Amino acid sequence: MDKQTEFVLRAIEERDIRFVRLWFTDVLGQLKSVAIAPAELEGAFDEGIGFDGSAIQGFTRVTEADMLARPDPSTFQILPWRGEKDAVARMFCDIALPDGSPSHADPRFVLKRALESAAADGFTYYTHPEIEFYLLRERPAEGGRPVPVDDAGYFDHATLGPAHDFRRKAITMLEDMGISVEFSHHEGGPGQQEIDLRYADALSTADNIMTFRTVVKEVAVERGVWATFMPKPFRDHPGSGMHTHLSLFEGDHNAFADPSAPMGLSTVGRSFIAGLLHHAPEMSAITNQWVNSYKRLAAGGEAPTYVCWGHDNRSALVRVPMYKPHKSNSTRIELRSLDPACNPYLAFAVMLAAGMKGVREGYELPPAAEDNVWNLTDRERWAMGLRPLPGSLHQAIEAMEDSELVAETLGEHVFDFFLSNKRAEWEDYRRQVTQFELDRYLRLL
Amino acid sequence: MTKASRSSDPTSRAALAGAGFTDLEKARRLWAEPALVEIADREVVADFGVAADPDLALLLLSRLLGSDDCPAELCGALMADPQRRRRLFRMLGLSAGLGEILLRHPEWYEVACDEPSWPSAAQVRAEFLVGVGANPDAEFPTAAAGGPETYVELRRAYGRQMVRIANADLNSGAEVSDITAALSEVADAVLDASLAIARAEVPEHDCARLGIIAMGKCGAGELNYLSDVDVIFVAEPARDDVDEAVALRVATQIAQRLMNVTVASTVEGSIWQVDAGLRPEGKSGALVRTLRSHLDYYQRWAKTWEFQALLKARAAAGDVELARAFVAETRPLVWSASRRPDFVGEVQQMRRRVEQNIPNKHAGRELKLGPGGLRDIEFSVQMLQMVHGSSDITVRAPATLAALEQLATWGYVGREDARALSEAYAFQRTLEHRLQLRSLRRTHMLPEAPEDLRWLGRSLGLKPDPGEELLKRWRAVSLDVRRLHEKLFYRPLLNAVAKLEPGQARLTPEAAADRLTMLGYRDPAGALRHLQALSAGVSRRAAIQRTLLPVMLDWFAQGPDPDAGLLGFRHVSDELGATPWYLRLLRDESAVAERLALILSTSRYASELLVRAPEAVQILADSTAAPPTDRGALVAEMRAVARRHRRADSAMAAVRGIRRRELFRTASSDLLHDLGVESVAEGLAVITDATIDAALAAAVAEVESVRGESLPTRLLIVAMGRLGGRDLSYASDADVMFVHDPLPGTDPVAAADVARDVFNRVRAGLSVPSPDPPLELDADLRPEGRQGALVRTLDSYAAYYQRFSAPWEAQALLKARPLAGDNELAEQFMLIVDPVRYPAGGLTASDLLQMRRLKARMESERLPRGVDPRRHTKLGPGGLSDVEWVVQLIQQQHASRIWGLRTTSTPEAMAVAVAEDLIPPKDADRLMAAWRFASSMRNANTLVLGKPSDTIPSDVREISAVSRVLGYEPGQSSDMLEDYFRTTRRSRKAFDRLFFRD
Repeated sequence: MDKQTEFVLRAIEERDIRFVRLWFTDVLGQLKSVAIAPAELEGAFDEGIGFDGSAIQGFTRVTEADMLARPDPSTFQILPWRGEKDAVARMFCDIALPDGSPSHADPRFVLKRALESAAADGFTYYTHPEIEFYLLRERPAEGGRPVPVDDAGYFDHATLGPAHDFRRKAITMLEDMGISVEFSHHEGGPGQQEIDLRYADALSTADNIMTFRTVVKEVAVERGVWATFMPKPFRDHPGSGMHTHLSLFEGDHNAFADPSAPMGLSTVGRSFIAGLLHHAPEMSAITNQWVNSYKRLAAGGEAPTYVCWGHDNRSALVRVPMYKPHKSNSTRIELRSLDPACNPYLAFAVMLAAGMKGVREGYELPPAAEDNVWNLTDRERWAMGLRPLPGSLHQAIEAMEDSELVAETLGEHVFDFFLSNKRAEWEDYRRQVTQFELDRYLRLL
Repeated sequence: MTKASRSSDPTSRAALAGAGFTDLEKARRLWAEPALVEIADREVVADFGVAADPDLALLLLSRLLGSDDCPAELCGALMADPQRRRRLFRMLGLSAGLGEILLRHPEWYEVACDEPSWPSAAQVRAEFLVGVGANPDAEFPTAAAGGPETYVELRRAYGRQMVRIANADLNSGAEVSDITAALSEVADAVLDASLAIARAEVPEHDCARLGIIAMGKCGAGELNYLSDVDVIFVAEPARDDVDEAVALRVATQIAQRLMNVTVASTVEGSIWQVDAGLRPEGKSGALVRTLRSHLDYYQRWAKTWEFQALLKARAAAGDVELARAFVAETRPLVWSASRRPDFVGEVQQMRRRVEQNIPNKHAGRELKLGPGGLRDIEFSVQMLQMVHGSSDITVRAPATLAALEQLATWGYVGREDARALSEAYAFQRTLEHRLQLRSLRRTHMLPEAPEDLRWLGRSLGLKPDPGEELLKRWRAVSLDVRRLHEKLFYRPLLNAVAKLEPGQARLTPEAAADRLTMLGYRDPAGALRHLQALSAGVSRRAAIQRTLLPVMLDWFAQGPDPDAGLLGFRHVSDELGATPWYLRLLRDESAVAERLALILSTSRYASELLVRAPEAVQILADSTAAPPTDRGALVAEMRAVARRHRRADSAMAAVRGIRRRELFRTASSDLLHDLGVESVAEGLAVITDATIDAALAAAVAEVESVRGESLPTRLLIVAMGRLGGRDLSYASDADVMFVHDPLPGTDPVAAADVARDVFNRVRAGLSVPSPDPPLELDADLRPEGRQGALVRTLDSYAAYYQRFSAPWEAQALLKARPLAGDNELAEQFMLIVDPVRYPAGGLTASDLLQMRRLKARMESERLPRGVDPRRHTKLGPGGLSDVEWVVQLIQQQHASRIWGLRTTSTPEAMAVAVAEDLIPPKDADRLMAAWRFASSMRNANTLVLGKPSDTIPSDVREISAVSRVLGYEPGQSSDMLEDYFRTTRRSRKAFDRLFFRD
């Protein structure tokens, strides 16, 4: 029994924990949870806890429903919102088949495989997300419209209060769960918040994002408000993105850093960006997986629409932040297309795979975009060879269908399930008659 | 007397060579040195013959006698007593390392020369403690001083003991276990003396009691000359007024100092590493714990293997009372471990680990880890202890040899086997010891250089060619041990159900069931019944089975389904047991037996063929058995056999017997040699063609003999579908069409009756129930399908195809191939169908549209309900049907123009299409990869399940067996699925591009 497992078993006795929630994530990025009593935990470590996989989005077909959840003891945390008495703890799980082999449907396994592949080349992969979300007054009823908590205006101190208080409470809980918060502030839209997580290895970060979403929603409910990670809930306010900073390390050395190169960016860093750019359209369905995701991308502002990169260019898909001499280990790049409603495991996996393909095959990095690409004319962009990102979920699906890279990274099972699920979502969406149409056509036509 | 004694010069080259010197010039120079001249006597020279390396012995002796510290009396002592000098020569010729010690301490020469002494453990301990200035009888023996000088004292005492034990080892004929016990006693004393030194270095040391428990080899009392010493430390406050935390802190300091004492390097070298890694929580746990804390850990957290390690725990040094309490309190826990739920799983894992632990690179030279090496024996003995020791306290000895003895005494392994194994173990340990002594370094590798092998062989007194003899013995021993699993694990199982011979082990039924479960059998009760049935009785047959079964059981256990393997073996043996060659073949040709075991535990299809006609086992004797490739030869054989029968039904039965034999040959060579799917398909086509051909001949002969005249019509059987394309799977039916053509001037109605009569006899003869698998002739592809006439004339076919042929019929005709019957009729028939299947100018727009629609509809309609389409090898996306339709579309479009496309074979047509630029090579590769994967998947399904299935199984056990057949390792079935889905996804894309787009 390894030390971590022992630690968990001991902590459960010492802290009088009544239930342990085993967390895992379905293919679409929804958190799933099985509660077990502490007495079952030792068995769960040894053999896993059996459950019916056919009930989980994208896990199995009915004929092979039996699956096992095997907790990862290194992710053990006590859930702070459940109180100290009769405490509840959680652990993330890996999903296995009855014969003990890992399930190819498990998003965590998808990311682990991508990480192993990069590790074979000597790289470890770190990410650091800036997560945006909106606080609403209450949980919108079906057909209702979202009302932000502080729609009275930015500078109204009376209404800024609850949101500020909310952030403090959420951050305390996150820190209690061992998730370090780098930064937080009120974002551009009314009721919109941003909380940045400290950088960590990609698997921990993905776990942390899953925890983050849960914590934020729990704290909101506790305070009688509603938090949403929907990418674009308001037509007239900015969408919620999840700009993500990436870096690769070789041992202790930042593989993106080369102080003697332009922008302090090494050849590895440049090829990595080239990989991200080259494969951006085909991984768009993963980084921006909902019909609504493309409403955010269409709006511009902080959201990218064209495949390009720039040095501190906030309209670019990939931004290289200002280089700080003597801090070469903080060299990183920022991918700005992601939104907080993605499945972070899958998204981080395809981003890594795209970048690594650039590195392995020595992709050439095209010239940086100096201007705000929004201000260019179509012809200028055409002349500069700027390709647009997919403009809708439909276009994203089509781009992904032809992608060997995404198929190899996700594995055949997830690839197939994801595509058919997204096609169905698009079909559903196409059949909708929207408020837009009613407003515009009903009286006119 | 040697030649040397007859020569006048005692150090003549001849004398030296006779004594075993190799570098004669150097030896002569040494003998001429002043220190040696004195003893250059004929007998002394000859006595060097006892040394493993006389040159080395002489060199060391010259340095010893030449050194200033050399006791004056040594020369005389050597001259006077041949016994004493031979002892010294043996040691010097074996070990440069021991020689170095003697050179540093010539005053110890008596330890090396004299009759070996066997002091008691207490004496050894006292000697060490006194040596470092401690009082052996004190409550806390403490060295006079700490620091490097005392370390040197300790090493001197240790070196002296090494010389003593090596002397006993080389010169007393002591058992290996005596030597390892003596080494363990010395290790205990070293621990005690190191503790005394450590105490001298730690202030307040007397506030803690510290017990040292030896683990591993030292704990079991079977230590090597050079190996780490595994320990666990346990401490308690020495007095009531000492706080536990204080005592633990002090005890930890003492333990750390102690570990440093033995490894620190000094002028006298170092001793060995004290390794505390087996303690609770391993390297990251506290170095020292109280007894209570240890027990808490073991009761609550420890894993099965940790209890297994505790099996070897022994109170070794320090506060013996405390150490003994540790051992006594943990012992009951050791055996309760076997009641844990994961116990069987862990035991099986260990067994796999033993087998995987063999690094291939050095496998040929590894004494410890190689196949049949020491680790193999140790692990196997421990595993048997784990399985049976929990319910039987008499088999719990910690040491390997003692445990083996106990297992034999109480009937868990055979007495003879145990004895042979003990000898093998002792032999290998001796080799290991000699190699370690040579330079006092740890090694488990048999040397490669001939001179090193010679040295090792001589050290064991082997003659005449010591190196060669050594290798021979070592190979024999490891081969013997390699059959260890058979002997240890399986033979007693047999004796559990068979009549006992004296000296044989007997397991109780419960013990036998435990053991079978551990080995991977899911139905131990059933397995025992089969064993009983196979081996019961006093017949010669039962006796051979008793020697055969232990090996077979092991091979079954390595296959995907051990229980099925044993059951199949019982069926085959029940059928063939009385045949004289059967058991002899299996006994004498172990490769045949192994192939049989693999087939029976893997393939239901092949097992069923074999059980119906077991004499096919003989096919397995041919290691090059391959599917038939020569249709003519097979037809000739079948026809010849058929002709010997007057009646068509018995003729056809004989033909079907040959078919079954050939099917088994194909299936077994597929399973054993991983044939490509194309050779399997080709073999199956040859078998099917020949069978139909011979059946037709037999039916014609019978009808002619009934009628008393030759037939009024010419006959032809046309192959269609997969048979036409010669890409059959094990599960394929034979698609055919029947054609006849009345001879001029005969009555067409009567001719048709005769033709129908013949064809019906062929169909019935090949499908009537019999022990041989049926061959169903399926004529559904004929004009008008099932509604149409079964037999048509050539003219009728011509008229039909001219007037009615639907696009799907033209497509089906792409596979038409004349199979048996009248050659001229065949040519005429092909002239009729060629324009239909290869339309001039390609498909019309409306035919193309129809074909595409048909394909699209088929996909949605023909797939069985509830099946994941991707798992359907035939109709699933990117599966067989996709690939074949692409090829057939291209054939219909272009074959009128490109003659190379006029083939019924999918791979051939594909290759031509690529060469003609009709399909991009990359797409063709992807399509063919999927076609081959899907075809072999389907074949693997049939082989495993014994029945046709187009769907990849979802049952865990079945899919894992299928993946094994396809060459994946155990536990890789999800990789196989992943590979399959990737391959078919790519093929699907190529299909979409090529089939649906213009």
